[in-house]
Amino acid sequence: MKQRTHPALIAVALLTFVFLVGPLVIIIGTSLSDTSYLTFPPQGYTLHWYENIFDISAFRRTMVTSFTLAVGGTALSMLIGIPAAYALARYRVELPKFLGNVFVLPILIPEIVMGFSLMKSVAIGAGLPIMTSLLVGHALLVLPYCVRVTGASLNAFDFSIEDAAVSLGCPRWKAFFTVVLPNVKAGIIAGFILAFITSLNDVSVSIFLTGPGVSTLPIQLLAHMEQFFDPTIASVSVLLMFVTTAVMAIVERTLGLTFLTK
Amino acid sequence: MRNLASLSAIALIASAAAAQSETLTVSWWGYNGDKLDANIIQPFKEMCGCDVVFETGNNADRLGKLQARGGKGVDVIFLTDAYSQIGVEQGVFQKVDPAKIPNLENIYPVARDPQGGFGPAYTVGRIGIVYDSATVEPITSWSDLFRDDLGGMVSLPGITTTAGPMVVVQAGMVAGTDAYEDDAPAFELIEALKPQVVKNYNNGSEMVNLISTGEAQITMTQDFTLGSLKNAVPTMTWADLEDGDIAVLNTLNIPTGSENVDLAHEFINFVLSDEVQQKEAEQGVDAPINMNVELAPEQAAMWTYGQEAIDALNTMDYAKMNAHKSDWIDMWNEIFGM
Amino acid sequence: MSSLSSPRLRAWALSAPALLLVVLFLLVPVFSTLATTFGDPEGPLATYATFFNSRLRMRVLWRTMEVAVITTVISVFIGFLTAWVVSRAPGRLKSLLIIAAVFPLLTGVVVRSFAWLIILGKNGILNDTLLWIGVISEPVSMLYTEGSVIVAMVYLFVPLMILTLVGVLEGIPQDMTDAAASLGARPAAAFRQVVLPMAVPGLIVGSVLVFTGSFTSYATPQLLGGERQMMMGTFLYQNAMVRFDWVAASTVAAIMVVVTLTTVILMSRLARKLNPVAG
Repeated sequence: MKQRTHPALIAVALLTFVFLVGPLVIIIGTSLSDTSYLTFPPQGYTLHWYENIFDISAFRRTMVTSFTLAVGGTALSMLIGIPAAYALARYRVELPKFLGNVFVLPILIPEIVMGFSLMKSVAIGAGLPIMTSLLVGHALLVLPYCVRVTGASLNAFDFSIEDAAVSLGCPRWKAFFTVVLPNVKAGIIAGFILAFITSLNDVSVSIFLTGPGVSTLPIQLLAHMEQFFDPTIASVSVLLMFVTTAVMAIVERTLGLTFLTK
Repeated sequence: MRNLASLSAIALIASAAAAQSETLTVSWWGYNGDKLDANIIQPFKEMCGCDVVFETGNNADRLGKLQARGGKGVDVIFLTDAYSQIGVEQGVFQKVDPAKIPNLENIYPVARDPQGGFGPAYTVGRIGIVYDSATVEPITSWSDLFRDDLGGMVSLPGITTTAGPMVVVQAGMVAGTDAYEDDAPAFELIEALKPQVVKNYNNGSEMVNLISTGEAQITMTQDFTLGSLKNAVPTMTWADLEDGDIAVLNTLNIPTGSENVDLAHEFINFVLSDEVQQKEAEQGVDAPINMNVELAPEQAAMWTYGQEAIDALNTMDYAKMNAHKSDWIDMWNEIFGM
Repeated sequence: MSSLSSPRLRAWALSAPALLLVVLFLLVPVFSTLATTFGDPEGPLATYATFFNSRLRMRVLWRTMEVAVITTVISVFIGFLTAWVVSRAPGRLKSLLIIAAVFPLLTGVVVRSFAWLIILGKNGILNDTLLWIGVISEPVSMLYTEGSVIVAMVYLFVPLMILTLVGVLEGIPQDMTDAAASLGARPAAAFRQVVLPMAVPGLIVGSVLVFTGSFTSYATPQLLGGERQMMMGTFLYQNAMVRFDWVAASTVAAIMVVVTLTTVILMSRLARKLNPVAG
């Protein structure tokens, strides 16, 4: 027999969701407003600010760059982050305690300093091509999410199940994919989502690593806002919301990860 | 054999073409990109047979990156004069050769050599005061900004914006002193103004938001924001100041590390040409600095247009301003940040 | 992998790539930047002395600490309760709720801050509503206060907390709490003895993310607080991008790193006290 969640708790959660979704309604409203400035409630409805994104070639170009970076950077980060998270959870005795905090460093260090240092050393010092520097920068930027958020779930995992599988003759790598991964799905999904979004919206690191011929969407948006004060900022945000949601859905399908099966 | 000969011929032609097609790297803000592309970049590409790539971002970011790269990586950089002065002081620009920019003769004298042998300006803007004529008594001089009947209506440009340090300079002028020599009287005036300030803005979007939401009714800003302000609050008015607005020149410079110096000169010359300047002004992209540009009255209304209007503007001494900027930021923060 | 027989070797081999990325591309470059702060001709600590002797700078530091701590506490509280409800929701509803929690994160920081300007402004929705109800007789100024900065920051970071915790709380089997309840434990006791110890690692990760995020944030305090509520991030940005003084900026950064690192280490210690299993 299941315990029911206390009604007071449900009320708190409900209020939280009103708090979370309310401002989004406002952003969507302002993006449809028939005025050339940000206002709510909208004074009339238009899709002009959405057309604007597709009419301006720089937005089209930088959107592709931003998505490429977010997918590439997060994938790279996950590829090296999940093994590290697994090692941290599985071999608590063998690895030094401070190691977990090393992977939080990319968020500890103010982004702008990280961006500046990366530019000095990687882009200028090592002379890496722009897109490569950006990929490295973004992979680094999202590593904390890939290691720690995934790790939070791995910490709660009972590794004796995996040991049992191995002792029954299942190869280690196979045991990892069939026994461990399915059980920490929620953590990996959360990590992936946070990482992807962080990368997609990043300004501070990208500002220093972009260069001739390569720019990202948030930076292009800032450039637009230097001169125009229209609701394009809202329409770009709303568009990103929906495109990101679509990307998440695709990732779920292809990786076979889904919220709906527990 | 014949195949081989034709192949090597093709290879020869290809390598010759590759040697000819240079790439010009332009660093600019990145807004209005499509209009600039049609008016400047495409015609220039056809003219020079070269390719053009861009680096985009605001003044500070792009200049900061250029400095970090030791002046390399860019052939032409667009900046407002406040920032190009910093670039000059940092030594990341090379002097331009006027002989390679024949169109200099056709632009207003004030724009030909604003910073001592470095790049020319290609457009001129102005910074002045804007107020809501429905709620504010007319503002006719800089001293009106420090009037005491503006309670909670003012938004000043933050000290870190282009216009911020100008507030200090103008406050000094109102106080009857030169802020570069003695900044105490200027800051006393600013401190007295503090109760009337609702919030200082850090960028144009924030400023337009302050006005459109009714948080502020008076501000000091650059002319290109006026259209947006009027859309939000139709009674916003550009103050006609008896002591004149402040000139803002957008300059073109060639960094020290440019690998296409001749091409960069050609590009600058092209931006100053009659046809480009005419198109840019007609389409509302940039105010013309070329004396041969002819505008209808309604087109001219939005710009600082003509010798008289340009002569009426006050110019800032950015070299002096930059020397004081750090101290002023601290003093300003002491007033507004405590 | 199987050739790596010793667990120690395996552990290091698995973490090596990520460690290499951090060391090569973060530690080395950032330390070389921070090293410049000790190169002052007036002595290695001159730039730090300048910082700590300035009333204004110390005030900015304290304010940033205060805002970050308050934001973290509120986010932990709201985030935990919400994540608990979400983790106990039936399948389809759960995915909907998770998506709703993620959605705010999908928009940029700048536009989210603008939304709060529209809500909290003098002619904003909140003032209009309060006027309409009759709670207030004239519009209240809510913007440009520490409160408005905190509200917007909590908005920024609560989704992070919820997402981090849902994954953890899902791992706490329902039957454990049920078992505790059936053994006569009151809900509060069951919570303290069963749920909390298992949730601690997630709470720590979430708190670290929120604290460091709000401590280093820049755009939100700038828009909703302005100069009056200046925070370290804004101050750092001013030094770097307005004065082009990277030494001063790096000094501010070094102080920020030390403060956040200390906080994170203290949090991890606390976590180990509460729950010896968590690392």
